[in-house]
Amino acid sequence: MVTASRHLLNSPRPDGRPPSLGHGVGLRRDHFDRVLAGPTRIDWFEVISENFMVRGGRPLEVLTRVREKYPIVLHGVSLSIGSNDPLNQDYLADLAALARRFEPAWVSDHLCWAGVGGHYAHDLLPLPYTTEALRHVVARVQQVQERLGRPIALENVSSYVAYRVSEMTEWEFLAEVARRSGCGILLDVNNIHVSAVNHRFDPRVYLDGIPADKVWQFHLAGHSDKGGWLLDTHDHPVIDPVWDLYRDAVRRFGDVSTLIEWDDRIPPFDRLEAESEKARAIAAELRGETADPVGREQSPAAVHGQAAGRVVTA
Amino acid sequence: MRNAPDLRRVQEVFWALITAPEGVRPGVEALSRAGGTEATEVEAMFTGDERLPALDRLDVYANMYFFRLLDCLGEDYPKTWALLGHDRFHNLATDYVLACPSRHPSLRHFGARLPEFLETHAQRAAFPYLADLARLEWARVEVFDAADADPLARRDLARLPADRAGEATFTLIPASAVIAVNHAVAGVWRDLDGRAGATPGHEPIAPAAPVARRPGRIRVWRGRDLIHHASMGEEEAHGLEMLRRGENLGRICQQVAAGRSLQKATTRVGRLLQTWIDDGLIASFNLPSS
Repeated sequence: MVTASRHLLNSPRPDGRPPSLGHGVGLRRDHFDRVLAGPTRIDWFEVISENFMVRGGRPLEVLTRVREKYPIVLHGVSLSIGSNDPLNQDYLADLAALARRFEPAWVSDHLCWAGVGGHYAHDLLPLPYTTEALRHVVARVQQVQERLGRPIALENVSSYVAYRVSEMTEWEFLAEVARRSGCGILLDVNNIHVSAVNHRFDPRVYLDGIPADKVWQFHLAGHSDKGGWLLDTHDHPVIDPVWDLYRDAVRRFGDVSTLIEWDDRIPPFDRLEAESEKARAIAAELRGETADPVGREQSPAAVHGQAAGRVVTA
Repeated sequence: MRNAPDLRRVQEVFWALITAPEGVRPGVEALSRAGGTEATEVEAMFTGDERLPALDRLDVYANMYFFRLLDCLGEDYPKTWALLGHDRFHNLATDYVLACPSRHPSLRHFGARLPEFLETHAQRAAFPYLADLARLEWARVEVFDAADADPLARRDLARLPADRAGEATFTLIPASAVIAVNHAVAGVWRDLDGRAGATPGHEPIAPAAPVARRPGRIRVWRGRDLIHHASMGEEEAHGLEMLRRGENLGRICQQVAAGRSLQKATTRVGRLLQTWIDDGLIASFNLPSS
C-alpha cells in the first residue's frame, strides 16, 4: 500500500525543492525506547547534529536503528554561520562524516552566530541585517555547502534584541541569503511569531517576503509569554496564533516537511504525535484531503540526500 | 560622527555584555572603564522599547548563556550538585563559566575541565574530596559515548593456547577509563545514588559517613546499557595498568608476584582477568607471531 506520506515523498518538485518528508518530530532521548518499539504516527525525525558527533554509545546506536526505518534530517546548533570567527573546520569534518554515515534528507542549522573569539555561547544569537553581514554569511554558506557537498537549509531564529545598524528586515536578509547562496530555508513559524511580537512586525509580511521556492521545511513549537514579550522555550504546545500562521504558511509554500519541536518538559510521545497529527490535519485540510493517520515505518531508501537536489526512490 | 560598527565590533560588544560577570549593565560600565566602548556606543548599537529596553533584552541572552551552561554542568555532575546543593553549585558554575568558557561547538565537552578546576577552588576547603568526585563523574561522561567494541567472553579465551597464554596481550574496550583519586569517592557516589531524595536540589546532601582520604584507582566502563565503576585494590590497579600498557600476561604475573610464588600470582591474575572479562572490560587478546 502506498500511504499518503509515501506519495508525498515521491512527488516531484518542479521548483527544485526537496520533496516533503511529511510530518516529523525531534528525536529526543526521553523517547528513544518508545520510537524503537514502534510503530509511530511519525513520518520522519530531526536530530540535533552535535548530539551525535560522538564515537559510540547508545545515542548513535539508537539513531542507526531509527534511520533503518525513517528518513532523518540533521539539524545543527553550532555551525555559527554568521560569526566573525573562521568556520570551525573540525566541526565541519564531523558534520560531513555524520552526513555520510546517516544520509539525511538534508542538513540544516540557524541563521545566527553562536560565539566569537573561539568561544561558544550554545545559543542562537541574532545578526545585524547589514550588507556586510549578508556578504559574510553568503560566502560562508557557500563554503559549508562545498565542504559538505550538498546544499544546506538555514532557519530563522527567535530574537529578543535588534540592531540599529540593520539595513534590511530579517525576512529580506534571509531571502537574500537563500537566493545568493543557493541554500534552502527552514522556516520556523513559531520563531516568526515570537520575533514578530518582540519586535512588533507583521508576521504575514514576513511570510510574504520569503521566496516560496526556497522553503524546505517548517518548524512548529511552543514558547513562553514573559508578559509583553515572548521567549522561545520549546516547552509548551503550539499556541493558536502559531497554528493560524502555519495555515498561512502552508497556503503560501504548499506541502513542506513539518516538524514539531519540544525540548524541555518533554511530554509522553503520544502527546507529540498528537501535535504532529494536528499539523498533518491542517495541511491535509488545506489540500482538500483527509489526513492519513496510519502508522509509519518507512524504508530507509525512501529519501536519499544528494549533492545537489534530491533523488527519491520508492 | 562615529562610523557604524561592523560585524566584528557588534559581536565583540554583544559577547562582552552577555558574558559580563555582574550582568549587562555593569558590563557596559566595565567596557567604558576599560576604554574600549562608551555607554553611548552600546546604546546606539541595540534597539529596545518601553516594554523591554535594549539592555534588558541583552540580559535575556546573558541569562540564557549562563543557565544553559549551568544546566549542562548539572547534568554531567549530578552527584557534585547534590552534595553542594543548589546555591553552592550555582556559585561554582559561575566561577567555572568565567574561568573555562566553552571552546567546543558541542556542549558535551564543556564540563571537561571542572575536576581540574576544583583542585584549586575555594570549595575544596569544605569538601577536600570534591575534585575526586567530579573526576569520577566526568569519567562516566567520557565512557558514555566512547567508541563501541564487542567485549570478549570467557569462551573466547578457549582460542588461546594454554602453552602460550603468557605471551598474550589484551586490549581494553574504548569505553573504559581508570582514574586516580585521593579519597574514597566511589562510596560517596554510591551513597548519593542510593539514597531516597538524593537528587540535585536546593539543599546540600551530606555523605552518610566521613569521606576518608584513601589514594587509589577506580575503573569506569560502559556495559551493555549502563555505566559502571569499581574501586580497585593496589594489585588490581597495577595489573590493569600493565595490561592497558600492552604488557603480556606472563609479565603481569611476574610483577604481581613481587616476592610471592609465581603460581599464586598466576592464580590471582587469572581471577582478575576473569573479573575484567565478566565485567566486559576486555575487547580482544593478541598473540605475537610464533
